[in-house]
Amino acid sequence: MRVLVLALIASLSAAAGAQENDAESIVRDSINHWRGLSSKTELTMVIHRPDWERSMTMAGWTKGEDKSLVRVLEPRKDRGNGTLTIKKNMWSFAPKVNRVIKIPSSMMGQSWMGSDFSNKDIARADDILDDYEYTLLTTDAVDGVEVYEIDAIPHEDAAVVWGKEVLTITAESVLIKHAFYDQDGELVKVLETLEVSEMGGRTIAKRQRMHEIETPDEWTEIRVESVEYGLELSDSLFTQSNLQNPRD
Amino acid sequence: MHLFGVLFQLAWRNLWRNHRRTIIMLSAISVGVWAMIFMTALTRGMVDQMVVDGIKALPGHVQIHNPDYLDDPSVNNRIPISDAELQQKFATGNFVAWSSRVKVPAVITSERDSRGVTLLGIDPAAERDLSFVKYDEVDGRFLEDANDKGIVIGRKLAATLETEIGKRIVIMSQDPHNEIADRGFRVVGLYTASTGAVEEAFAFVGKSTAQKMLGIVGETTEVVFLGDDYRDVEAVYESVVAEVDGSVVVNRWYDVDTYLGTMMKVMDGFVLVWVVVIFLALSFGLVNTLVMAVFERVREIGLMLALGMKPGSILGQIVIESMLLLALGLAIGNILSWATIIPLESGVDISFVGKGMEMIGAASVLYPKLNLNDVVLANVVVLVLGFLASLSPAWRASRYEPVEALAKVG
Amino acid sequence: MNIVLRLAWRNLWRQPRRTWLTMGAMVFSNLLLIFMMSFQFGMYGLMIDNTLKFFTGHMQVQASGYKDDKKMRQTVPDIIPLANSIRAKLASDTVAARAQTFALASSDNRSFGIAIYGVEPTFEVNVSNIPGLVSSGRYLEAGNPAEIVIGDILARNLRVGLGDEITLLGTGVDGSFAAAVVDVVGIFSSGAKDIDRNIAEISLEHFQDVFFMEGAGHLISIVGTDLDLVEQLQADVTSMLPDSGEFVVHDWNVLQPGVRQAIQADMGSSFFMYFILVVLVSFSVLNTQLMSVLERTREFGIVMSLGLKPGRLGRLVVLETAIMGLLGTVLGILAGALLTTWVGHVGFTIPGMDEMAAQFNLPARMYPQITTLSLLAGPVTVFLFTLLASIYPAVRLRWLHPVEAMRSV
Repeated sequence: MRVLVLALIASLSAAAGAQENDAESIVRDSINHWRGLSSKTELTMVIHRPDWERSMTMAGWTKGEDKSLVRVLEPRKDRGNGTLTIKKNMWSFAPKVNRVIKIPSSMMGQSWMGSDFSNKDIARADDILDDYEYTLLTTDAVDGVEVYEIDAIPHEDAAVVWGKEVLTITAESVLIKHAFYDQDGELVKVLETLEVSEMGGRTIAKRQRMHEIETPDEWTEIRVESVEYGLELSDSLFTQSNLQNPRD
Repeated sequence: MHLFGVLFQLAWRNLWRNHRRTIIMLSAISVGVWAMIFMTALTRGMVDQMVVDGIKALPGHVQIHNPDYLDDPSVNNRIPISDAELQQKFATGNFVAWSSRVKVPAVITSERDSRGVTLLGIDPAAERDLSFVKYDEVDGRFLEDANDKGIVIGRKLAATLETEIGKRIVIMSQDPHNEIADRGFRVVGLYTASTGAVEEAFAFVGKSTAQKMLGIVGETTEVVFLGDDYRDVEAVYESVVAEVDGSVVVNRWYDVDTYLGTMMKVMDGFVLVWVVVIFLALSFGLVNTLVMAVFERVREIGLMLALGMKPGSILGQIVIESMLLLALGLAIGNILSWATIIPLESGVDISFVGKGMEMIGAASVLYPKLNLNDVVLANVVVLVLGFLASLSPAWRASRYEPVEALAKVG
Repeated sequence: MNIVLRLAWRNLWRQPRRTWLTMGAMVFSNLLLIFMMSFQFGMYGLMIDNTLKFFTGHMQVQASGYKDDKKMRQTVPDIIPLANSIRAKLASDTVAARAQTFALASSDNRSFGIAIYGVEPTFEVNVSNIPGLVSSGRYLEAGNPAEIVIGDILARNLRVGLGDEITLLGTGVDGSFAAAVVDVVGIFSSGAKDIDRNIAEISLEHFQDVFFMEGAGHLISIVGTDLDLVEQLQADVTSMLPDSGEFVVHDWNVLQPGVRQAIQADMGSSFFMYFILVVLVSFSVLNTQLMSVLERTREFGIVMSLGLKPGRLGRLVVLETAIMGLLGTVLGILAGALLTTWVGHVGFTIPGMDEMAAQFNLPARMYPQITTLSLLAGPVTVFLFTLLASIYPAVRLRWLHPVEAMRSV
């Protein structure tokens, strides 16, 4: 599932027209609002295991739902490593070898930078809506804000392994929780927002954590340090040559 | 000729005069013959099984590929001849069955795990005779046609992925532009194969579905042909080569799986050694029996000599007796073999060592194979050996001094 | 008892030809059984050795749990000093440390996922066949060079040759980006497509650098002098490791369970066939003894009417068989031992094996090895079955009616 996609998408606020109770339109609104939008983010990713913890700081640029570029800032030894994704495809760059390499499909299932996200999770596509059938389950009010719980059932042929996913989105289009269930209805993994705050002019999920239910002591956390929206980002930013020779 | 008739009658009656003795000797010969044929059938069956299994995994006796495919079996190395053209070219030919398929590496993912597999996009009707999958023994169902949207995977793979019939899994591979091509498939059937390794290696989908997913509509990566006899595929090979040009390579099965080809030769050698061994062991028994047949009837022979029978006739009579014995023993032995092998042809189960058999490429059930050549050989050898073995004692017997012979107490 | 013994012996030699022929059958079968079993066991030894010496080794030192999970993080720390100390204590060079992971290998514009191994070049040659299978160029050199050896199919797929560069991309043990550029110094060809397509080796020190191992590795492969001594060696090596339980020593049975099971399977089917051979021989003995009893019907009739109990007569028959069997067994063992030892020196070959040898690096000649088992198992079984076979004729004597018996010819 395009986890990071939805996380980043839904962390935008969709101020206009998100009051309808139609599930699909709630999701569509966040996406529509996102389409044509661009962002620059600085975030920290923490990978936690029972016996160690690792932290990385990264800068990320996105444009629309298809394109994203991530560059590692810290720690020093990883500085300059980058990942470019366009639609479902991913390229990797390592300054140490000064080469851009396309990740073949056989490696797309591998973990991204050692985290609990896979390469496939990071790569984005514009057909998220097409892959699922959305149903609004409940509407609740929490602290005066409306919260929608939405069922997302993948279509028959969709390239999705899950039996269903449940998204909990606020009226401000902040994703509070994204739960992944297997085809027997058992919860397998979950992405939870731990902190919501206003950044870059919007209410967004500032801290999110992903972990598998069976191993609660192993998780990956993403913390947004700073974010800017609505920038003018040219398409040339999202190219392999830029990946290799940053002009950003 | 009249003499022969008399000798024959004498021989026959002699045999049955002491029926206990005769029965004992008959059983020795029959059991010996049975052992020869049975053992040969068993070892032949083993070699056959190993080779046929190996060929079914390829599959086929002759294969066509893009020249680069065997090194890098990916979607980029498709067969440059379109599927439609292939269907035309091979509508008839010198083979029993043929099929064109899409075979590429892919990753299969479930909620819990993922594995690298070989994805096979096939036309199930065309593959029925070629495939190692027994369609009727598939849990759930096999693919119905080339447009089937389901996927059939091995039992072991389903267990590893923690998935089952009715659930969806995702197949991910690449299209010719190096872009990710992926799709969800519902598991509609689970197959069992002779080894768990095979069950984890192959996943079957409909050919058209695969072509659409990979963006190679109308194209395939492999064409396979099956002939009558894996030991002689030349006719099939010639027939295929005649229809294609140098844009593809055509291989015989032992060119593709060189290990199997060489192994077959070694195993054949082995069978030969075994057969010789058994024949030798049997010969002792045979000679023993026949020699005994003569030497414990010394007094009888003495009597006949004393009564005027010519030594030559003695020789003749004894040889005829031996041959009669042999013939009967052979008949019984052959019937016994036939009676024991045919029912066992559906398999002798030695599955308690099942897991290990995978490594040397044989199934955990042995299938004895009755080969006419082997049976004929066994019979001929026994007759010839028997004949030779009976000559010496027969000749000695004809040389007895009647008086001495009569006097022997035995 | 003495009389019965002498009688039995003399009875046997009243018909020397028959006795010799029957014994001959026994000796021949024993000879065969001994030879075939020794050959078989010798072949197993060969098979095991070949498979293990290819890459796995007789045993491996690993972090506990690595065998099942194969996670990059399950490392053996300070692996090179540990390997050094094991080498010193065993006074042996057939000990080599390794690290392994999956990574992307790419050249120009082609990439493939492969299994990459970091090895100790000086010692890897002693525990694995791969260095010996380098068909062009050379194997890795000791130290920390940025070198790689790859299989010939991988070389073709990547379109690289000697001297070309390959980029390796993967994940370090701590999850960070691992990347390196290495030169192709050697290309190997094992004949096994999977190996030649998917495996590459670089020096362990370089691996440790690239993947941030901090001196750690994943396993130490050890090859002993003799398969039979593996258990002892395993105990020795285990005692050289700290008690903490972090490390385990797995022997080849655990690492490659298929090997032992393949052997057991082969044994299963072979023993089935040996069994038939034994049955054949026993039948021949049964046959002989039945004949011998049958032809002495008159004599037995007389003796029984003089007062000898059928039981004693039965024992006589069994004793005759036992003596014959014993002789056959002893002579068979002698003959079998002689033949097998001779062939064990000279070696022999089955047609087709030289092809296997050339292509797959398997030996072309086979040398049967006598072991206690192969020497005794066959003959003893034959002897037992022989005795069994003698029961029927002995038992039949009970039904002998002396008067009728005396009348028979």
